[in-house]
Amino acid sequence: MSGVLIHLPRGSGDAVTLRLGPGESARFGRGSETIPVELRLVDAAISRLAGEIRVTDDHWQLSNHSTTQSYLVENPEGAGEYLRVPPRRAGAPIPFEFSRVVLPTRGEATVAFQVFAPDHVYLDPAATGGSWGSPTVTAYSLDETAIYFLVLVALCEPRLRDESPVAVPTTPEIVDRLAGLPGCAQLTARAVSSHIDYLADEKTRISAPAETGPGRGPRRNGKREALVGLALRFGLVREEHLALLPPRAGGGEGAAPGRRLGK
Amino acid sequence: MQRPADASGSDRGEPLPPGHRVGGWEVTGPIGAGGWATVHAGRRAADAPPDPAGGVAGDPPGEVALKVLPTGGLAPRQARAIAESARREVELARRAGHPRLIRLLDSFVLSEPGHPYLDGAIVLVMERAERSLRDRLATPVTAAEGARLITGIIEGLAHLHRSGWVHGDLKPDNVLLMRDGSVKLADFGLATELTGTHGTHGYAPPMGTLDYLPPERRRAPLGEHGIQVRPSADVWALGIVIHEVFAGGAPPFPGATAMARAAAAQEYAEGRAALRTDHAVPPFWRELATDCLAPTHESRAAHTAETLLHRITAARAAEDPEAPTAEGPPSAAQASPHPPVRPLHRRARAALLAGAAVCGAAVALWPHGARDAAPAAARAEASGSLRVFNAEQGCRNRTDRNPRCSLGLAIDPLKAYTPDNVVATRVWDGEVLAVDCLLPRGMPIVDESDAVSVEWFRVRLPGDAARPTAWLPAVRTKDRPAVPECPRPTPVN
Repeated sequence: MSGVLIHLPRGSGDAVTLRLGPGESARFGRGSETIPVELRLVDAAISRLAGEIRVTDDHWQLSNHSTTQSYLVENPEGAGEYLRVPPRRAGAPIPFEFSRVVLPTRGEATVAFQVFAPDHVYLDPAATGGSWGSPTVTAYSLDETAIYFLVLVALCEPRLRDESPVAVPTTPEIVDRLAGLPGCAQLTARAVSSHIDYLADEKTRISAPAETGPGRGPRRNGKREALVGLALRFGLVREEHLALLPPRAGGGEGAAPGRRLGK
Repeated sequence: MQRPADASGSDRGEPLPPGHRVGGWEVTGPIGAGGWATVHAGRRAADAPPDPAGGVAGDPPGEVALKVLPTGGLAPRQARAIAESARREVELARRAGHPRLIRLLDSFVLSEPGHPYLDGAIVLVMERAERSLRDRLATPVTAAEGARLITGIIEGLAHLHRSGWVHGDLKPDNVLLMRDGSVKLADFGLATELTGTHGTHGYAPPMGTLDYLPPERRRAPLGEHGIQVRPSADVWALGIVIHEVFAGGAPPFPGATAMARAAAAQEYAEGRAALRTDHAVPPFWRELATDCLAPTHESRAAHTAETLLHRITAARAAEDPEAPTAEGPPSAAQASPHPPVRPLHRRARAALLAGAAVCGAAVALWPHGARDAAPAAARAEASGSLRVFNAEQGCRNRTDRNPRCSLGLAIDPLKAYTPDNVVATRVWDGEVLAVDCLLPRGMPIVDESDAVSVEWFRVRLPGDAARPTAWLPAVRTKDRPAVPECPRPTPVN
């Protein structure tokens, strides 16, 4: 458990990445000498103290200090799913693992930052449905409906299909593999790389081998190999998850390109 | 988006009907389901051979618990994880049996082609407990009962750690109470054998129960072999359990859900919130729980199951010489169908403790005017020397001065051996200390191998000008130097 991660991209202010533990909070707004803020948003339409993020339990709460403006919290993976936090609302709980907080401005452009809540817990898939008292759970639980999970399944696919004990797909291969899925049409190579970083650094906290060892070359895939190895070893990705991927072009499920008849 | 078929079929976790036969055993009723297994009450089937080949030696009791770990319908990797968990249980039972651990009587794999769900299921046959500590906590626990329960848990934990294992999932659900009231630890599916060069840690699958995971686990990296587990993780869980026992099952961290409490524990560990224990927890146990809940592995490492057991033994001897040991009164132990392995030894120890405490009480009546000879003695030549001995195997003949292997010296050998009665200087196995004299009757000390002694040596502390001498329990050396008897020390404070 590591709380939440806030990322403010460059443009609305300086690029900032903040990590907050449970009970910690961060204020956002235009800021001033007397009103310091942790996240400085440079836009004349935003108040000096626009709002506050506080981490509680495995999620976070958003307080809207504006007296006139509503803020939107979007789930970028939720096909339009969003929450509206009305003016002066204190501590609205945000249920999304990924969120984009959008503040209105006078112009066309909006100001937005991202909040990640990697601590969400999912019940163990192998559990026999005992009571939800004090269950033994997998410490690294993944949202099997998230795009990062699709990326992970795609990474593990060759190993799951016993095609190659070593091959781990490259980023462009993953982009191609997932392209047919709804919600993944816009997936860029950069997004895939961020999903892999998120899985490795926030969700599983793998202790990956050095990325720049001799012979590793520029592909920097030590992290991917470690991620695939651990996801399979500890059952985070299993054979049944292959059904999440689109059928392979030109071949039946499970048919490896090299083994396909009539090729 | 395509989704796999919902594999959480309703037959998973479905209890077996009474009368169902598994191996040489017959199901008599359901006990519960949780995690990956269902547990049933059972008994030996009437027509089964009296003692199965490969069964654990000893008379199998009439009533048993049958833990069924189904693997049917699972992906191969998942099934392997379950088999691995069962393997840990069997391995631990084979190598580290103890009266404080639930006995494994038999284990086998079911072959039931007619039941896809049962085919390939692993069955662990264990001695039958009356109920779990979790069930017991539904009704209030008296201070004496709580003390007995916790002492039993710590005895089991001390044995596990001494044998080189970490439980990994200590919680009231996994502490079982037998019909005679004795306490036994159960569920070793996440137990880990300590490896590493110095046997300080092991690797376990990244699993656990949120309410009982130490704060450092939430940032622990997942490595090739799993997650690093150390005995201090069990000590943290023990701290939670101690609190729960006295506070009617309430954990020390606030929150309506396990996630909320885990977050509160994290806040505490990061120094942003204080530990607020329930006032129902008696002061001695509150202090013990607080030490178990030291926020980091490093700060917790000083409190091992062994040192906690010493503190309990010392406190009990100081307070109430008639207090029963965790085994219960001797009559109860005799009535039990499974008497503890070393009943004579236990009773002997209790008698010794009681005797020693009576001596201590008598001594306390003596006038305290006797002059403490320590400063004068420190200036004189030492009378002899001794070599420090650590009963923990892994701590012998080492040169690294591992804090986990360090031994303490008391300030006052007549007072309870608690942290405020220990000098700052630590000693290690093999170290040679100068000795002034021997105190024949001090606070009784039990070491890791259950050896008891009330004798103490007054030893020199070379590097400590403020405190030239301290007291070493005689169980901490194998030597018996010919030294004079110490004068009765003046009580400190």
